[in-house]
Amino acid sequence: MIKHLLFILSIMLLGSCGQKQGRLFSNPGPEETGIDFQNTLTPTEDLNILDYLYFYNGGGVAIGDINGDGLPDIFFSGNQVKNKLYLNEGSLKFEDISATSGIEGNSSWNTGAVMGDVNGDGLLDIYVCAVVGINGFYGHNELFINNGDNTFTESSKKYGLDFENFSSTAAFIDYDLDGDLDIYLLNHAVHTQASFGKADIRKNRDPQTGDKLLRNDNGIFTDVSEEAGIYGGVNGYGLGISVADFNQDGYPDLYIGNDFHEDDYFYLNNGDGTFTEQLRTYFGHTSRFSMGNDAADINHDGWPDLLTLDMLPEDETVLKSSDGDDLTQTQNLKVDRYGYHYQFSRNMLFVNQQNKAFTETALLSGVAATDWSWSALLGDYDMDGKQDIFISNGIPKRPNDLDFIKFASSEQIRTKMNNTKLVDQQAFDLMPSGKVHNYIFKGEEGLKFNNESGHWTIKDSLISGATAYADLDNDGDLDLVINNINSTASLYVNKTDDKANYLKLNFKYTDKNKFGIGTKAFSYHKGRLQYKELYTVRGFQASSEPMIHFGYGQEKFIDSIKIVWPNKTYQVLKKVATNQYLTLSPKGTNAFNYDSLKKDTRNIFKRTTDNLGINFTHEEDHYLDVNRQKLIPYQISDRGPAVAIGDLNNDGKKDIFFGGSKYIPSRIFLQKDSTYVETAIPSIAKDSIKEDISAIIADFDKDGLNDLFIGTGGGDFYDQMPPLTDSYYRQEKDTFTEMPLSSYFENAGILREYDFDGDGDLDVFVGNHAVTNDFGKIPNSFLLRNQGGTFSMVPNAELQGAGMITDAVWSDFDGDGIKDLILVGEWMSPKFFRNNNGDLSEHFTLEQAYTGLWQSIVPFDIDRDGTMDYLLGNWGTNTKLSASMKYPLKMYYSDFDNNGSTETILAMAKNGSYYTLDGLDELSSQLVSLRKKFTNYKEFAGKPISEILGEPALQKATLLEVNTLASGYLKNKGGKFTFVPFSTPLQLAPIQAFLEYDFDGDGSTEVLAAGNYFGVKPYHGRFDSFPGALIKAEKDVILGNKIGLDLEHKSARHLKIIYMGEKPFLLVTYNNDRSQVYALENNNN
Amino acid sequence: MKTLIPLFLLVALIVSCNIKEEPIVISAEELHKAIDKVTEVMIHDIFSPPVASRIYAYPNIAAYEIVALHQSGYNSLVGQVTDLTPIPKPDKPVNYQMAALIAHLDLSKHLIFSEDKIEVYRDSLYSHWEKKNKGDFLDSKEYGLRVSKHIAAWLDKDNYKQTRTMPKFTINTDDASRWQPTPPSYMDGIEPHWSKIRPFVIDSANQFVPAPPPAFSMEEGSDFYNEVMEVYHINKEITAKGDSSEEVAIAQFWDCNPYVSVTRGHLMFATKKITPGAHWLGITKIACQKTASDFDKTVLAYTKTSMAIADGFISCWDEKYRSNLIRPETVINQYIDDSWQPLLQTPPFPEYTSGHSVVSGAAATALTSIFGDEFDFDDDTEVPFGLPIRSFTSFYHAANEAAMSRMYGGIHYRAAVEVGIKQGKDLGNFIVNTLEMKKNESLVSTQ
Repeated sequence: MIKHLLFILSIMLLGSCGQKQGRLFSNPGPEETGIDFQNTLTPTEDLNILDYLYFYNGGGVAIGDINGDGLPDIFFSGNQVKNKLYLNEGSLKFEDISATSGIEGNSSWNTGAVMGDVNGDGLLDIYVCAVVGINGFYGHNELFINNGDNTFTESSKKYGLDFENFSSTAAFIDYDLDGDLDIYLLNHAVHTQASFGKADIRKNRDPQTGDKLLRNDNGIFTDVSEEAGIYGGVNGYGLGISVADFNQDGYPDLYIGNDFHEDDYFYLNNGDGTFTEQLRTYFGHTSRFSMGNDAADINHDGWPDLLTLDMLPEDETVLKSSDGDDLTQTQNLKVDRYGYHYQFSRNMLFVNQQNKAFTETALLSGVAATDWSWSALLGDYDMDGKQDIFISNGIPKRPNDLDFIKFASSEQIRTKMNNTKLVDQQAFDLMPSGKVHNYIFKGEEGLKFNNESGHWTIKDSLISGATAYADLDNDGDLDLVINNINSTASLYVNKTDDKANYLKLNFKYTDKNKFGIGTKAFSYHKGRLQYKELYTVRGFQASSEPMIHFGYGQEKFIDSIKIVWPNKTYQVLKKVATNQYLTLSPKGTNAFNYDSLKKDTRNIFKRTTDNLGINFTHEEDHYLDVNRQKLIPYQISDRGPAVAIGDLNNDGKKDIFFGGSKYIPSRIFLQKDSTYVETAIPSIAKDSIKEDISAIIADFDKDGLNDLFIGTGGGDFYDQMPPLTDSYYRQEKDTFTEMPLSSYFENAGILREYDFDGDGDLDVFVGNHAVTNDFGKIPNSFLLRNQGGTFSMVPNAELQGAGMITDAVWSDFDGDGIKDLILVGEWMSPKFFRNNNGDLSEHFTLEQAYTGLWQSIVPFDIDRDGTMDYLLGNWGTNTKLSASMKYPLKMYYSDFDNNGSTETILAMAKNGSYYTLDGLDELSSQLVSLRKKFTNYKEFAGKPISEILGEPALQKATLLEVNTLASGYLKNKGGKFTFVPFSTPLQLAPIQAFLEYDFDGDGSTEVLAAGNYFGVKPYHGRFDSFPGALIKAEKDVILGNKIGLDLEHKSARHLKIIYMGEKPFLLVTYNNDRSQVYALENNNN
Repeated sequence: MKTLIPLFLLVALIVSCNIKEEPIVISAEELHKAIDKVTEVMIHDIFSPPVASRIYAYPNIAAYEIVALHQSGYNSLVGQVTDLTPIPKPDKPVNYQMAALIAHLDLSKHLIFSEDKIEVYRDSLYSHWEKKNKGDFLDSKEYGLRVSKHIAAWLDKDNYKQTRTMPKFTINTDDASRWQPTPPSYMDGIEPHWSKIRPFVIDSANQFVPAPPPAFSMEEGSDFYNEVMEVYHINKEITAKGDSSEEVAIAQFWDCNPYVSVTRGHLMFATKKITPGAHWLGITKIACQKTASDFDKTVLAYTKTSMAIADGFISCWDEKYRSNLIRPETVINQYIDDSWQPLLQTPPFPEYTSGHSVVSGAAATALTSIFGDEFDFDDDTEVPFGLPIRSFTSFYHAANEAAMSRMYGGIHYRAAVEVGIKQGKDLGNFIVNTLEMKKNESLVSTQ
């Protein structure tokens, strides 16, 4: 009986082991497939991760049909082991022909491997990169020319490709469109003193570490890097390369991912044999420790998007015990002084904006954190017509473990310096394992991706690197092959099979480029565009099968496919049946007009060339909130400048007041007949010490002359320092005189004027934002009653403690003909104050509390139902912060360390538990006692906030919450309001400004939204991707970069209509940047 | 039978007690070991040099006050050291040296992070003492902990807690002379508010303000320029001479950087060493051992030296964040040679004056006042860190070499070194002349 049970148990056990497959992929082992390649690493005393930084980057994998039998074959390069080549015999069986094919290689350290038809004979050759010249590595990059009989001849010298340098991989690219394949050789630096320092060392070419552009001159490759404008510095840690026509001009461009401190490079092809590196123009920020990357169109607009990988851990414990981003000041130093771009340690997903700056959406898209990532491959794995993402992952040991960095000190390491292997092992053992599973994401609508790791795939514990895709079994779906470290290579066999339909395309192109590298395919079905370019080198140190693959779900036929050949000709195939493998050659081609791709623009706005003489650049002062309030979640000192429009010189023309930041004077521009002219009003300019946040030009004393009311803030002055008081200047006969105001000392958020008591003069609501040195405390906001030009406070406790106010609007929400007051702010829900004949009291009109980090509000009937809705600008969802009704973002406010000053500590839910947002270093920089409570990072990491700070401390603290991060609108349903989030493009960044106007001159108004924000620690990145948007209706939103606006990478504060005579213009005012004036192309009011 | 057993046990107990009870003798060696233990924990926990100096001083003072209360030859520091009030007296006679050591360990544990590491050491001592003489031990322990508490209440008010949360140093690269973070880890400036820490003997952080450094100017021939070029050339010469040169040996011997960030291959880690203060307490140990000083005198030597070092750091840091002077590495990389690298890693705080020079001057003055000027010794303090023994003919000989080492190391200009050691000596002399620790101070000085 027992025997019987055991037997059953063992059967069950075997059975469950046998079910080694996910829902989408199965992983047959070497005994089934015959693929037994294993990239075994043998660390020695002289060669290990201490000696060579990329010891664990792994080998390469290249897939292609080398013998013309229609079945893709697989090549692996090994770092220290010999290369292997497997012939595909069909049915997922492979034959190892390495020994007879002459591809085993002679270099001592191989890296990337790519297939391409170098000599144009229609047979795939194999180029294997190597690291040579350090650590005793010998050999050279090897080119195995295909003899057509399953043998190869190493011919690198003959072709000029026998480089002895530090190569990562190589890519085939006909950059000069001369018909033959050129090569971009991606090399990597190693840490030396010379590879640090200023960014412009990239301009000094180094033969070993510098990348090389190699032009194919009749079969001999010539290094043209210098003349082509390719950097080749000693700081180029090249690990990732994508070739794609990013600007759709017919010439292939390059994105190079560089590890460590060096910027990535974005080379746009000038079409004349040269490139111009334009990273900063097109990318507001990039991955920091850039690894592999891939380019493909994910949003069906026919332009290639880009995914770059980094190493941000998803797991809370790993996250809190790993070194991450720089400190704020360190990053500023690298940017301001050393000339590097903004880099953050996480994956980035860049969405191509068609010749405008890319928008970066990885956080919003859900693909930012995949831990130690190597290869990214975008492909339609489930064949539903949307691109999915596969990311390979893992490192044997985590060198960025904080306990290792801080505590694996001389005791362990010093002895290694004296070369004893034993102690080296000890140091090694101190690092935690980084065997993270590979990730797979299913592409959804709205730039969203859903993590299917563990569902579509089995969560592995391998160290996976180079990855390539191919249809190995010719069943129409994409299979994957991965080169692993110290484990047999993985096959991911796709089981979509006939559950969905596909098309595979390959090409017979010209003599020298028989495979048609660089060919583009635009596929159309049911109004949906899919776009691919044939570049085989993708991901990391690998090349995939030379074909284009599309998935179509259940579609039997597709409307058309347009093939655009590298020579800028095209042909169209109509009504194509799916589930075919088509081989296409140029036939009946016509010249392709690339301008036809740039259709999606309407010129509503046009930058004026002279800015109407408004030469105003706002300059933020150097004050850093995080230096004083180390745990403040974001800056409160950068909310300026104030802008106000109104006639200041009594000539009937509206002028402009720009506030200054601390110690920088405000400026005034007067509207003249054909331009604006700056003027100085000394009595106003003298108050330069104040930082101006909000301002109003209006005739408060009703003497026919406009006065000026300024709300000041800046988050630097504190307590009862005079510069915190607001200013009120009365105009009397060409002079402005400062008038006394009730003395309140607050950081202003917003001023809004209205005659709330109906006595015929303008009163002012002063909404205040935050308390200096005491963030988390609710500041006092005031309603100031105007009596003959002097202001007095209206006592109203409800209003006074309303919250951390950022914006307000007087709007008649109850329809009684008197405007009411609506307030928005941070860590609060919008508050509606009903104006009952001059009595303001809060009125609950929301369906529920929508606590947010609200930045802006504007009344607008977005659903066109005749009732007023309210558009609300929030933080957006493209952020590391997370909040929901069930799991709001929490901020605890208390004097945690009992030292007489308060702190705020943020906590976010992950899998149902709340964790501090900050790590031990940040928290203990303020709460030193935590250093004693947690003497290492291991003890701290992965603990919920209740264990970090203790329940009693949390109970004692004031709790502020945010349950909504999305921007959206309050939809009016019979006087009750429900929040409706905006669509994805409006969630890219905080929205700071709205303006309602008929911009396009169609007779009805729209709302223009602008934003972006940089006042956060490097951990949060930079919210620089929002190009502005014109909101016409609920489902009619158009991005600013399509209508002539240039708002990317700048942090907008105000949108205003200004005039030149009768003609309206749009004035955009930024924090710490130059104001811009746009003409309205279709509005000639 | 039933009654016999307890009786037997009682007898056995009495007998065993009688056999085991013996007086516990605390030697100076045990204090040396305790301080070594604290140093070891500090290396692990990573304390910056100023913070480390504070951690050393308070436990020594606690021990010293207990000694002074029990030994007629020693004066209490009450009235001599800011805000110190008399320690409680024991209720019954105690082994005061054991109490002093217990107070020392308890305060050390209070001041470092990794308490468990001190606890392991303490518990081994405790169980040893308890076995030897439980009564004595428990009484001394109760008293030692009481004194520790008293001193803890005093140190709690030295503004350390408040300075933890004061603003960080603000980097402003627009000012060419202003210090900015240095490679490879670009750490923020450490302890910008250390001058606000309550000093021990000097009346305020700015009692010994040094002359200002040469005005920043990269004009050829200016004093500042000349100083920059001197560092640059010294470094070149040393490099030419090679790793085995005397200057390299001196620079490395006195590096005393608790956290040197190292990148090897893909790894980043730290090589850690003792701080300048710890090095000078190591020399104190050598002097005490060489003179076979007893426990009481050893406590005095540690106390005086550690207070001189702590006040030295307060004085030096006051100047550092007054002049906020840029480091040679930054200047040379920007104006002269962008690939230049100092021999030693530049520590993360402004240049002027040199901390090692100030505290070496102060410590040497304190030690000279105790052990005399002509005191030759072999300094083996750095042996555990793989560095050789160096021999000196006097404490000042060592101090002067320590100061010069900073120029060889490429991390200081001449003014910081020369003015720094003078600042330290002036401060040291003030302390030595102000403090009356022995009843007949002159006897100690000429010993």
